[in-house]
Amino acid sequence: MTALLQVRNLSTYFHTQDGVVKAVDGVYYEVAKGETIALVGESGCGKTVSALSILRLIPEPPGKIVSGEVLFEGTDLLKLSQEEMRKVRGAEIAMIFQEPMTSLNPVLTIGRQISEALELHQQMTKQDAYKEALRLLELVGIPQAERRARDYPHQFSGGMRQRVMIAMAISCRPKLLIADEPTTAVDVTIQAQLLELVRGITRELGTSLILITHNLGVVARYARRVYVMYAGRIVEHGTAQAVYHDPQHPYTVGLLSSVPRLDEPRKTHLSTIEGQPPDLIFPPSGCPFHPRCAYAIPKCSKDRPELMEVEPAHYSACWVALQKPTPWKKIS
Amino acid sequence: MHKYLLRRILWLVPVLLAVAFITFSLMHLVPGGPWDREKALAPQVVENLNRKYGLDKPLFVQFGNFLWNALRGDLGVSYSFQDRGVTQILLSGLPKTATLGVIAFFLAILIGIPFGMAAALKQNSAVDYASVFFATIFASIPGFVLGILIMIIFSVVLHLLPTGGWGNVKHLIMPSFALAALPAAYIARITRASMLEVMRQDYVRTARAKGLAERIVLLRHILRNALIPVMTIAGPELAFLISGSFIIENLFSIPGVGRLFVQGVFARDYGLIMGSILFYAFAVAIVNLIVDILYAVVDPRIRYE
Amino acid sequence: MAVAVETLRPHHTIWGDALIRLRRNRLAVVGVTFILLLALGAMLVPYVSPYPWDRQNYNIILQNPSWAHPFGTDNLGRDVITRLLYGARTSLQVGIFTQIIVVLVGIPIGAIAAAAGGRMDNIIMRFVDVMYAFPDLLLIILVRAILGPSIYMLFLAIGLVAWVNVARLVRGQILSLKQRDFITAARAMGASGPYITLRHLLPNSIGPVIVVLTFNVPRAIFAEAALSYIGIGANTPSWGTMIRDGYEVIFAAPHLVAFPALAVGILMLSFTFLGDGLRDALDPRLRR
Repeated sequence: MTALLQVRNLSTYFHTQDGVVKAVDGVYYEVAKGETIALVGESGCGKTVSALSILRLIPEPPGKIVSGEVLFEGTDLLKLSQEEMRKVRGAEIAMIFQEPMTSLNPVLTIGRQISEALELHQQMTKQDAYKEALRLLELVGIPQAERRARDYPHQFSGGMRQRVMIAMAISCRPKLLIADEPTTAVDVTIQAQLLELVRGITRELGTSLILITHNLGVVARYARRVYVMYAGRIVEHGTAQAVYHDPQHPYTVGLLSSVPRLDEPRKTHLSTIEGQPPDLIFPPSGCPFHPRCAYAIPKCSKDRPELMEVEPAHYSACWVALQKPTPWKKIS
Repeated sequence: MHKYLLRRILWLVPVLLAVAFITFSLMHLVPGGPWDREKALAPQVVENLNRKYGLDKPLFVQFGNFLWNALRGDLGVSYSFQDRGVTQILLSGLPKTATLGVIAFFLAILIGIPFGMAAALKQNSAVDYASVFFATIFASIPGFVLGILIMIIFSVVLHLLPTGGWGNVKHLIMPSFALAALPAAYIARITRASMLEVMRQDYVRTARAKGLAERIVLLRHILRNALIPVMTIAGPELAFLISGSFIIENLFSIPGVGRLFVQGVFARDYGLIMGSILFYAFAVAIVNLIVDILYAVVDPRIRYE
Repeated sequence: MAVAVETLRPHHTIWGDALIRLRRNRLAVVGVTFILLLALGAMLVPYVSPYPWDRQNYNIILQNPSWAHPFGTDNLGRDVITRLLYGARTSLQVGIFTQIIVVLVGIPIGAIAAAAGGRMDNIIMRFVDVMYAFPDLLLIILVRAILGPSIYMLFLAIGLVAWVNVARLVRGQILSLKQRDFITAARAMGASGPYITLRHLLPNSIGPVIVVLTFNVPRAIFAEAALSYIGIGANTPSWGTMIRDGYEVIFAAPHLVAFPALAVGILMLSFTFLGDGLRDALDPRLRR
């Protein structure tokens, strides 16, 4: 499979009063044509910032992409002019944002917000774009599309707004869709519906998908490969199967055991990961996870582990993962 | 939308009634009457005058008469201008006051919004600092003080503009700037703050993610939202501009409603005072109504409430 | 991390913190300095100035600024700076006394509206709306005509027109604070309505009230100057009266109108700077 998008050594820093926040610090990942990958981690670990960096939507200042390459069909997006970049946004790469309540413009009708991208990228007339917007609204399951297109965002529920966001994102048939925690802000019952919808559409259009989530349960069902992020770095990646059943990083182990699983006997209590996510201005020495890690060895606080292939096609940035069998294997 | 409009318009009725009633009662609390002269008039004469103008009737009857006549466009008689009724007197001043007010209104908007926008778009630049500095100063100096200072510069020192009067464009320049400066500064401040707030919103990021050009993001997505608080906060300030105009009219000797009001106060001319206060209250109410309507046009959340 | 920083910082009260932040605001410091210097000058002028404020001297009319008369003399040969400092007494008194009236009228009315709620609240707030519809300078003039020519009646007239924004603010503050947990807690402890209003709600809304009062001061100063300019204001030395007199001779001696006009502008600006500073200093969202 050829890679549609390759993110290489991407670093995005934020300059704040208290110091430089290394929100994304040398991240690598790639997506093949038609493939769905998942980017997993706690909030604040840099998932969203890395996605926004791909589209170059980081507010500058305070943010800045300090290094790396974002190769999209072989072209480095970071080297494009603003004008060229605009032709990529929405048309080639589209994004669904986390907060449906605030991500739609309150003073424009839903129909208008969908059709404006069509006018721009597909050179449609106003009328054609509006008609296409109605079709898209129906496609994402909004009943009475004709009437609803004239409504404003505040007249829609959270779940409905997220459907609108999906319609907007797929309107120009992008090659890559980035869904940033598309379901965190909506009811649990709606979450599955929305994800099924996204999966159905991406399959039909052959769109690649980057699914950003903190929910490992979602990952196993929808993504082929998984990247686990911690403190602005990728700490583990492999196929969803492998990461789920044979995690190679203690952080992933922690994430997995904090999710209730139906396929395992009920445990007495759900374990959580001790401690707080690290300070990204003054990260801990060595492995950034070592202060919270139950398996840390002296080396962990001294040397920072890079991603290493610990199993075939399964990478981990953990010194302990090099020991076989891994110490957490027995426990989980 | 229609319901909202209707409610806003209907609300004008009790407000204006209350303003009329308060003004009417206050005026009758003022010691002395319209017939107080240097030389006291004979009691018989005063009595006759009172009867002639209906001032011998109970207060609420007088108020009722006034309202009834006012509804028919007759604001009663003036005690200082014997030849004309209050309606005619006010109508003679109205065009001047209205011209000045409308020009100042548009000046305030046309100066305030672009400066506020420029400051927000170039936050922390020299443009921003200069705009904020001047906005802070002009927002706290009344038009009356500014008017005097520009009069000294342009009339006394440079001999470019007349100190007052009415007739041609030159007469309008200084008074309209003096009147517009404060609301313009205020509008610039609010526009800047509101733009900065809106520019951080998620939906602006969404618009950029669609690949829209910066110009369209600015005009279609940022500006419309940013203007909502500008209208709600600066709207009443523009109404305030109206009552500020009476002092500017006096400073620049413009024979508008404001000057007539001051003449009325000095002459204890009940009819003229009543008429001009109602005129101003009506103007304030109309401006606020227009602001409310625009508010509903721009913000759908209000329209559908 | 944030927690660790918090414990290292010395503990301050809300007011101590506000004062520190206020002192860091350069414009606010400039404003306060000007106000204090002017107040000092206004207090000391009878002892320092060689000229009484009303002494006329026809040998020295309309003089330009000089060593003997730093701001010149007016058309009756009176010393301008002396008169300006006496005028400052009027302006500062207007600023302070009107706000006392605003506090005495506005806070109770706002508190009653919020505490009583329902119909009472509705009536009061509609009345406040009507007051807003009034062009306030005109209303001040009317009230002034009723109350008579004394300077104290002028304070009263301005104060009686200016209380509405404080009433509205206090009501809004109390209504929003009512929702908060600590009020619910007090209620649960069995505290009575008026007790809660006095003990908890008013102290908590005092910061914003102070800010609004500070912004009210320049408006009152302006109202007095404007009324005196028209000729129905103060019967004491006043900047407005000086502007009126100076305006008559604006071509012969523009400094006579310029100095009092600048004085009004700068004093209003100073209070606005102070108000801006106080607002930023007392804004709990900026507290850390």
